[in-house]
Amino acid sequence: MKFSVSKEKLLAGLQTVQNVVSTRTTLPILSNVLLQAEGDQLRLTTTDLDVGVSGAITAQIEKPGATTLPARRLANIVRELPAAEIIVEVDSKNVASIRCGQSFFKILGLPEEEFPPLPKQTDARTFTIGQQILRDALKKTSYAISTDETRYVLNGILFSFKENKLTLVATDGRRLAMVDIEVEFPRSQEVDIIVPTKAVTELGRLLGDEGDVRLSVEENQVAFQIGDTLLASKLIEGNYPNYRQVIPAEAKERVTLERELFLNAVHRVALLSSEKSNSVKLVFTKNNIEIAANTPDVGEARESLAVAYKGREFSIAFNPEFLQAPLRVLTNDEVYLDMIDEMSPGVIKIQSPFLYVLMPMRIS
Amino acid sequence: MNALWAEIAAQIQTEVSADSYDRWFRDIEPVELDEKTLTLRVPNNIYQLWIESNYQTQLRSVVMMALSSAREIKYVFPDETAPARPGKVRALVPKTKPEPVETKMPVAGTNGFNPRNDFDAFVIGPNNQFAHAACKAVSEMPARTYNPLFIYGGVGLGKTHLMHAIGHAIVAKRKQIKVVYITSEAFTNEFIDAIQNNTLIKFRKRYRQADVLLIDDIQFLADKGRTQEEFFHTFNTLFDGHKQIVLSSDRPPSEIANLETRLVSRFEWGLTAELQAPDTETRVAILRKKAQSVDIKVDDAILQFLAERIRTNVRRLEGALMRVASYVSLNNGRAPGLEKIEHLLRDILSEEARRAITIDQIQRRVAEHFDVRLADMTSKRRPANIAFPRQIAMYLARELTKTSLNEIGEAFGGRDHGTVLHAHRLVKDRMIKDERTRQIVGFLDSQLTR
Repeated sequence: MKFSVSKEKLLAGLQTVQNVVSTRTTLPILSNVLLQAEGDQLRLTTTDLDVGVSGAITAQIEKPGATTLPARRLANIVRELPAAEIIVEVDSKNVASIRCGQSFFKILGLPEEEFPPLPKQTDARTFTIGQQILRDALKKTSYAISTDETRYVLNGILFSFKENKLTLVATDGRRLAMVDIEVEFPRSQEVDIIVPTKAVTELGRLLGDEGDVRLSVEENQVAFQIGDTLLASKLIEGNYPNYRQVIPAEAKERVTLERELFLNAVHRVALLSSEKSNSVKLVFTKNNIEIAANTPDVGEARESLAVAYKGREFSIAFNPEFLQAPLRVLTNDEVYLDMIDEMSPGVIKIQSPFLYVLMPMRIS
Repeated sequence: MNALWAEIAAQIQTEVSADSYDRWFRDIEPVELDEKTLTLRVPNNIYQLWIESNYQTQLRSVVMMALSSAREIKYVFPDETAPARPGKVRALVPKTKPEPVETKMPVAGTNGFNPRNDFDAFVIGPNNQFAHAACKAVSEMPARTYNPLFIYGGVGLGKTHLMHAIGHAIVAKRKQIKVVYITSEAFTNEFIDAIQNNTLIKFRKRYRQADVLLIDDIQFLADKGRTQEEFFHTFNTLFDGHKQIVLSSDRPPSEIANLETRLVSRFEWGLTAELQAPDTETRVAILRKKAQSVDIKVDDAILQFLAERIRTNVRRLEGALMRVASYVSLNNGRAPGLEKIEHLLRDILSEEARRAITIDQIQRRVAEHFDVRLADMTSKRRPANIAFPRQIAMYLARELTKTSLNEIGEAFGGRDHGTVLHAHRLVKDRMIKDERTRQIVGFLDSQLTR
C-alpha cells in the first residue's frame, strides 16, 4: 500500500478518529488506527469495541491496500511534520515508512485482519436530523449525564423517538435536562435508545453547522452518518427511568432571569460556597433576588439582582454548579425559573422545548 | 409491617414537601424487613434513583428512628418481586393475619387506619377498661349509645389505637358505611386549603356526609377560631343527623385552653372516658402481646424489668422492647443481662426517672427551699411568703408530673383546677420577667429531676 496526502488533510482525518482510541487498552490492536486506501480515498477507522469512528479523506493512492498503525504515535508524528506532502508506504509486514521533506519515520503496524470491523448496518430504523439541531440538543443535555458507574443506564443520553418527536434526556438523579426535537418518522419506527456518554461526546465533536445527520438504530447499536464520517456505538442496555415522573406538574412561582447577569452573579457568589456547604441560597422578595452563600470559618458572599418578581417571599438553595451548568450552554437572553416551594424542585425553561429540573438543597 | 411503614411514611411526610411526598413516597409499599435491610416496592426504577439521590439521608434516619437501628434500604420494582423469595426472612406481621382495611384504604393516607391497631391487639387493664368498653360499644352500634364519645389520656396510652380500632370494626362489619378518620391538625389544614382554593363545599361534603367521624388530637383545635367554628357546624350537622362522632385529646375538654365553651359543652355532652397509664401487670401483658405479634422471644425477667422501669407511655415501652429485641438479634440471639439493658435503654430510663417524681416530693423540696412548713403547702393561709412557694410547687407539679390539674389541686389542700392553672401561668410569667424566679425554679427543677 502506498499513498500520498497533504499534512493538513491527514492530521484532520486522524483528529476526527483518534479520540476513540483509549490510552489504556488490553488489546494492542485497539490503540491502532485502521488505514484503508482505495480509489482516491483514504479511510481511517478507530474503535474501542463500544464506540467506533470512521472518516475518509481524499488522497493520491498509488497502491491500494490496508493496514493498522498506532493511532496516537502516528498523529503525533504527523502533527510535527512540516506542511508538505506526506508519502506513506507500507510493506507486507505492516511496517510503514513515512516520508515528508527531509524527515523519515519507520513505524511498526499490525495486520488489517486483526482489526475488529465496525458493525454492519442493516435495514434499521433510520432518522434524519439537522446536524446543528442535534448538536445543540446534545449540548443542552449532556452535562446532566450521570458519572456514577453503578447506575449504568444513566451513563448516557436517552434518545426517545415518539410521536414525531425526538426527546433527549439526561439525568443524574439530582437534576434532569430534557430537549424535544421535531423529527418526521412513521409510527412503526418509534423507539427508545440510550446512547453512552463516550458516543455523545464524540458526536458533539463531529456534528457541524450544516447538513443532516442520519441515525440508524438497531437492536443493540446505533450509527450516526455525518457526511463521510460514521460513528457507530453500542447502546446501553436497560430501561431508562421514567423521567416524566420527575417533572413538576405546575409551578407556583415563576421568575424571568437575564441569563448572563444571573449566571455571573451565581458564579461570583459561589466562590464562597465550599465542598462541604455546596449551595447557594436564592432569596426571593418583591422584584429582587438575593443570591447568598456562606461557608463557616471561611466567609460569605451576597449579591442582589433586580428582577420582575411578584410572587410570595421565600428562599431556596441549589447546588451552584448544577444551577450554572444549563445557564452556560443556553444562548437565550432570558430564561425562566419555575418553583413550587423551598423543598420542591426548580425548573429552568426557555422559549423552545427545553427543560431542566433541579432538586433544591436543604436549607439548614 | 404496613403499620410500621405507615409510621415511617408519616414521619417522612414531615420531612419533605407535600408535592415530593405525593410524587415519591405515596406509592411505596414495604415488602420485607429483616435485621439488616428494609425492602421497599416502588412502581419503577425512577423512584429508586430519585429517592436514593435526594431523600436517602432523610429516609434512613426516619427508618432508624422507627426501628431503633439502621437498615440498608433496598428497592424492588413490580416485575422483579413476582417470585417471592423464600428464606429466613420473616415479616414483622404474620402473613396469615387478615387485614381487611388495608386494601381499601391507602396505608399512609389521612383516612387510612393502621391495620395493627384493632381491638384484638389492645391490651385491656383496669386503667383503660372503661374507655375500651365504650369504644367497643360505639363500634357495635354507632351513634346509638355514646355520642359523642370523648377519649382522653396522656401520650402513648392508646387513644389513636382505640380510634383506629373503632374504624376497623365498623368498616369490617358494614363496608358501605362512610368512616372518616382525621387528626384535627389535618382537618385544620384541609380547611385552610379549602378556603384558599374555594372548595369549601367539597370540604363540607366530605365531613358532613360521614356516617362516623373520628377526630384525633382535638386539642390542636385550640387557638384556631375559624376552624373551631367550622368544626362546630360539622359537629352539629352530624350530631343532628344521628351520626357517630368520636374525639380524642390529651386532656379533658374543660382543660383544653382556648377552646370555645360551646364546643367544650358539646364535647362533654356524650361520654367522656379517660385512659390512664397502665399498671405493672398490664404493662407486662402489653409487652408479651407485642413480643408475640412481632415474633420475638424475650425473657420474662426482661419484660418484668421493662414494665417496672417504664411506666408512663406504652409507645416508649414498645420502643424499649424493640431495642432489646434488635440487640438480641444482632448478638446472635444472646439475651442481654439486666445491666446491659440498663445501658441500652439509659436515655429512656433516665427520662422515665424524671417522670416518676411525685407531688409529695415536690412539696417537700419546695417547702425546704423556701423554709416554710410542709403543712403550709396544703393550708388555706395565703400570705405572700407562703402563697408564692406554693404556686411554684404547683407549677413544678404540673411540669414534672403527669397528674391532672384537678389532682394537683387536690394534693394542695383541695384547691380547684383553676387555682393550679392560675399558679402555673403566674409562675411562668414571672419566670419570663424575673431572673431570680427563673433561677429558683430552674434550681428546684434540677434538684428534683436529678
